[in-house]
Amino acid sequence: MWVTNLKVVTVALVVVLLYTAVAHIIPQLESAVPEQLTLSPDMSPRELADAGERIYNGVGNCASCHGLGTRAPYLLAGHDGAGPIGARCLVTFGPACKQYLYTSLVDPVDSVVPGFAPIMPDMRGQLQGENEIWALVAYLESVGGEITVTAADLTERASEAGAAVIPPTQGTTDARVLLQDQACLGCHPMDGQGPPLAPPFDGIGARLSAEEIRVAILDPSASVADGYEQYAGMMPETFGQQLTAAQLEALVRFLAERQ
Amino acid sequence: MPEWLPLVQAAAEGAGYGEFPGIGARNAVWIAAQVHLMFAAFVLGVPMFAVITELVGIVGRDPKYDRLSKEFTRLLVFAYSATALWGAVLVFFLTTLYPRFWVHLSGIFGVTMWLYVGLFFVESFTLYLYYYGWDRWNTGRAKWGHWGLGVLLNVWGTIVMFIANGWLTYMMSPPEGVTAATLPAEVGLWNALANATWMPINIHRLIANAVFGGAIVAAYAAYRFLAAKTDEERAHYDWMGYVGNFIAIATLIVLPFAGYWLGREIYEYNFQMGVTMMGGFMSWLWIVQAVLIGVLFLAANYYLWIGMQRIPGSERFAQYTKWMLLVLVIGWLVWATPHTLIVTREEVAAMGGSHHPFLDVLGVMSAKNTAVNLMILTTFLSFLLYRRANKRPVVDWARAGTVVQGAMFGTSALVVVGLGIAGYFVVDTVRIGFSVYQVIAVLACIIGVTAIDLALVRGAESRGAIQWGRMPERSQYALFVLAVTFTWLMGLMGFARSGIRQHWHVWGVMQDTSSFAATPALGYAANMITLCVLIFLGLVAFIFWLGGLAERAMGKPEPVASVGAAIPAGGP
Repeated sequence: MWVTNLKVVTVALVVVLLYTAVAHIIPQLESAVPEQLTLSPDMSPRELADAGERIYNGVGNCASCHGLGTRAPYLLAGHDGAGPIGARCLVTFGPACKQYLYTSLVDPVDSVVPGFAPIMPDMRGQLQGENEIWALVAYLESVGGEITVTAADLTERASEAGAAVIPPTQGTTDARVLLQDQACLGCHPMDGQGPPLAPPFDGIGARLSAEEIRVAILDPSASVADGYEQYAGMMPETFGQQLTAAQLEALVRFLAERQ
Repeated sequence: MPEWLPLVQAAAEGAGYGEFPGIGARNAVWIAAQVHLMFAAFVLGVPMFAVITELVGIVGRDPKYDRLSKEFTRLLVFAYSATALWGAVLVFFLTTLYPRFWVHLSGIFGVTMWLYVGLFFVESFTLYLYYYGWDRWNTGRAKWGHWGLGVLLNVWGTIVMFIANGWLTYMMSPPEGVTAATLPAEVGLWNALANATWMPINIHRLIANAVFGGAIVAAYAAYRFLAAKTDEERAHYDWMGYVGNFIAIATLIVLPFAGYWLGREIYEYNFQMGVTMMGGFMSWLWIVQAVLIGVLFLAANYYLWIGMQRIPGSERFAQYTKWMLLVLVIGWLVWATPHTLIVTREEVAAMGGSHHPFLDVLGVMSAKNTAVNLMILTTFLSFLLYRRANKRPVVDWARAGTVVQGAMFGTSALVVVGLGIAGYFVVDTVRIGFSVYQVIAVLACIIGVTAIDLALVRGAESRGAIQWGRMPERSQYALFVLAVTFTWLMGLMGFARSGIRQHWHVWGVMQDTSSFAATPALGYAANMITLCVLIFLGLVAFIFWLGGLAERAMGKPEPVASVGAAIPAGGP
């Protein structure tokens, strides 16, 4: 009987361990609590870089393009034979690296790397204040390079900037501002202008119902518009977390009315 | 107001959280809640078919069903204590580790908590009457009175479950208008109880409990089969294992439909919550679920195919086994294909895009729905062949009936595959509608084929009796795999349901501000699920052992005297 008991226990253990192993093999995604991020002039460069890392992986949503290598160059890993962003920036721009990174965040179209589409938005529209931009620069410098951002670069005092809350973002319900801030116009042409990387917003209300537009914003991978298959997967799936309900509805209403 | 409430309230005015040594407060509550839930599912699921098998025994005048029913119930007596113990542990942990949350919950649901305790008393005593009165009320009208106790047991259990479901679904989907500023006293009790996900969870759990109870009973039978000393014992437990497995799989087939309803209600309640569940950080959970359900289908079919070897006449169906296995394996692989892959730059370059050119096609819902519907059809076919194995129909339309049944299978499969392919060429709203037609096609086939089969084998000649007990031992391990997998799956789905609240105790109303507020990744959750499953299975093994001891102490009174013989002819 002990042999039978042993066999039964072995079968049970093998089965549960197999399932546990499968759950460990797949990507490990944790749902973090939105954090309070306070940036102040008395922070050390390292603390700034740490804050920048949280922005990079959080509200900045940087990895959704820079982590795939197809929409934008890799930043944390090597690109085109050069090292990660901190290293290659230092080699190319030397002491001006800090300024280059800052410019590429606030004026990305002028800084676009050859071979990639100009889809990146002005990050001032994504983040809250200049201090967060500088924190992001400090983090990017830290990846293989040297942090040269200091507290003196912070243009706003903590008391002025207040405690930045990540996410949700700003509360505007102006659809045009949202389309600009959320970088929608970086891919979707509107008023006949913009790169044709995604279906144009002109006439979208005639093609899709309000419900279909809502689904397309919140779950973009649910369907791909005809003719845009090669760009499938480009649109971030994080708008559900970034937009408030009022902002989402304002966008849906605005787009549905563009007959 | 209960006198203990001010004490808890005073505690709540502090940090709002207690500390648990070693594993932390969240894990302590996680284990207590999950193990309690597993036992609760068992003690709610088993009475369902205890009364059904007892009824079959009464109406069919077959004492072996009565014996089976009593054996189920004996397991219940021990399992009830374990359920109550873990329930008490859960309440004590919640009141001491999450006092702020407990004050909120009890402030709204206090009255139902008293009702819950009262019903638990009534339910326990009904069970004692049901079990200990078995031999006393075993004839005539008294037998029907006894069966009525079994029905009552189910009624009390269902109400108890519905009440508890009200508490947990309130945490997921509090009614509109309840905000962080709303005092518990301002929340209407019925409004909070009958929230958006209450009834879908009620129905889903009702079915899932039957599935789970069947699987655990089958595992018990498997163990007793392996330990059996005589052919008679082996035959009995072989049959018991078959019945448990049949109930588990038959009810499992309808469970996804309750799941769809629950999912739809979650989307209706809050679209972002739905996206978090299906397309957000939890999206990979469904791949793990697919792996588990694939194992369930394979193990259940394997058990049936092995079981056919003890049925004279089944040889003529053996040639189809390999094809059914092929469909199941391909369906499993498609179902478990992920859509979005985390890949390196080199892999992106090799694939020619961020999605794999071939796997991308299989990872979408059109392919997955098609796969799972074909797996359900295949499993139903296995059951049908098992049922028909030793029967030679005598009705003159037998051949035509079989042809019609085959045509039903073929048509259903064609509809499923056709709509699956068409799904690639339509917009998503139309495609979602296709999945409903696929389900209807499969259900229509199951109902139609079963109806024909019932008439077709009426009065059929036997090719030989099923040789119960003549099963190779390896078949019984398939039943263990089923039970362990169902238990793990329950833990996984518990994590999904609870995890979509993310960092909220009550979604949008009471935020979790403890150090355990972040919802962990699947690897961590899997470790916890495995721990809970092992605790549960260890305790269940102990209960099974107690069941054996009790039987020996009673000097093996079975087989039970013929039940049906004592019931007046014609029956009520």
